[in-house]
Amino acid sequence: MAQTGGIELANLTKRFGDTLAIDSVSMTVPPGTYCCLLGPSGCGKTTLLRMIAGHDEPTAGDVRIDGQSVLGLPPAERGTAMMFQSYALFPHLTCLDNVAFNLKVRGVAKAARRKQAHEMLDRVQMDGFADRVPAELSGGQQQRIALARSLITNPKVLLLDEPLSALDEFLRLQMRGNLRQMQNEFGITFVHVTHTQMEAIAVADLVVVMDHGQIDQADRARAVYDTPRTTYVARFIGGQNVLSGKVVAVENGAAILDDARGNRFTVPTGDTAPGTGETRYLSIRRDRIEMEKLADPSAARDGTVNSVVGKVWMTEYQGTWVKVNITLPDGEEFVANIDDGRFFANPVHEGDMVLARWPAESVHPLEHRESSFDTSRGGMHT
Amino acid sequence: MKVPSSVVPYIQVAPLALVLLVFFGIPLVTVVVVSFFDYVNFQTVPAFMFYNYEEVFSSGLTVTLYLTMLKYSVIVWLITLIVGFTVSYFLVFHVRSLLWKIFFFLVCTVPFWTSNIIRMISWIPVLGRNGLVNQTLMGLGLIDEPLDFLLFSDFSVIVAYVHLFTLFMVVTLFNSMARIDPAILEAAVDAGASRWQVITQVVIPLTKTGIALGSIFVVTLVMGDFFVVKIMSGGQSSSAVYAMWNEIAMLQYPSAAASAVILLLVVVLMAAAILRVVDVRKELSG
Repeated sequence: MAQTGGIELANLTKRFGDTLAIDSVSMTVPPGTYCCLLGPSGCGKTTLLRMIAGHDEPTAGDVRIDGQSVLGLPPAERGTAMMFQSYALFPHLTCLDNVAFNLKVRGVAKAARRKQAHEMLDRVQMDGFADRVPAELSGGQQQRIALARSLITNPKVLLLDEPLSALDEFLRLQMRGNLRQMQNEFGITFVHVTHTQMEAIAVADLVVVMDHGQIDQADRARAVYDTPRTTYVARFIGGQNVLSGKVVAVENGAAILDDARGNRFTVPTGDTAPGTGETRYLSIRRDRIEMEKLADPSAARDGTVNSVVGKVWMTEYQGTWVKVNITLPDGEEFVANIDDGRFFANPVHEGDMVLARWPAESVHPLEHRESSFDTSRGGMHT
Repeated sequence: MKVPSSVVPYIQVAPLALVLLVFFGIPLVTVVVVSFFDYVNFQTVPAFMFYNYEEVFSSGLTVTLYLTMLKYSVIVWLITLIVGFTVSYFLVFHVRSLLWKIFFFLVCTVPFWTSNIIRMISWIPVLGRNGLVNQTLMGLGLIDEPLDFLLFSDFSVIVAYVHLFTLFMVVTLFNSMARIDPAILEAAVDAGASRWQVITQVVIPLTKTGIALGSIFVVTLVMGDFFVVKIMSGGQSSSAVYAMWNEIAMLQYPSAAASAVILLLVVVLMAAAILRVVDVRKELSG
């Protein structure tokens, strides 16, 4: 079966009054992809979703599904179905009638739509609840009813607006897996809006990191995590230390940077040719950091490249690793995630001065782009 | 002083219970008792007889009066329901800003800033033979002579009722509509429901309570009306309450009491019928 449900957005723009909510976004989601729109609240991800669904019309640009423009079409004729954040189940209808609603308004006969609804309830393991009303169900159960209601019309694209945000931690992890499984099973495109980095990375084939109505990076989950494109993505996704310095020299495809704290870093230049004095940005994954306690902090640094010195202000045991928060002399924070075996073989304590260093090949160059959003809130602190 | 906790709720309801007992319970019982009394000349004589009821039921006038009031109730109920529904729908789902919502709601209550009588009387210069409507229509050349049905007719009675009672529908419908999550309407649209289907399949079922409560308000107010029908019909129509007032004026208290009991029963039956269709208790607890 040829997969359908490919989405193309072409220079999509949305204004609310004077506010630019979506700023000329272009993007392609191949058919059968699990795509996550990820960003802080207010970044426009829900607006983007609603424009694909047809609940908001764009100010400019085009939305195409399987190559056909769907602008102006009502939601039901786009081949999309939306699952709302609050689930928006009809409180006056039983679960069965909720699921059958889409068929009812399309004029499917009662017996036929009930049979189909029972089958769909069975697929989400909720057939035992057919005669209950939504108020009698738990959050997770309500969500499965909402999912069944969306899927009953065989949409090409399922749009999920923060589907897991109303659930507790345990259910969230469980439903996350269920969603991924459903997507595999139905083979349709899922577009899932979330502000939780872990959630996006765990389920998505394609992670779209958004900020201020623009796409910062759209890539495979691993690429977004391991090789963020910009300083914003690196900070927002988390798991990275972001540093910067001024170029003092370029040697063997690597720029040598000096920062204001007196540290020296190297960063691959790639295709670019940085000029001396230019500021360059880089990231190093927190789990690539080696750390050693400095016996005599006042001793002169031996000029170790790719290292920083700071004071440990907190250690957090995370099971398989220990998160060490280090404060650099200017107050910046630096984090090293040390494997628990290595950490406890050579532990450090709060107040210790440490040298944190990393191999040159772990350095990843970044483009500079900051957000006015408070990214310190975000980030998977792993 | 320590009050046993089992007594506390009774103390809390005591003031209201007392007020209801003194100003509602006792008068009601008195009316029921008096309705079985006899009257001789202008004197009320304690007795137990059904003559007053027989008299009311055997009078063709009573039937006419109740049929007239029933007709008014149904027409006014339909109009206030449609107007109330559309106004609330607009306020709840189309007015986005809370400030505008409050503003429009206040606009709805403007008629209530003056007394019922003034609001009613002010229709006379509008609808009269030389009133605003007739003069405008004649000025526009749409009619050659004044329309007579505008004032002192069923038409003017209904206009006055609708004007006086629509707000009761708006308030109760607004209240239940405002509790609908707008996402539910979007979900219905997403499911492929047309505008009309959204209203019939989702909005109306979810505003049943408001419709029932508003209907009880409007129907009981029209059935219990005393002066609107008299003034706006120019004395051509009368109401059950007005008939009672006549009896009281002639000091025929037992007879008036019997009419009052019958009216009360009719209104209670109508309210009960409405509540049978909509289980308000279930809706309010949910």
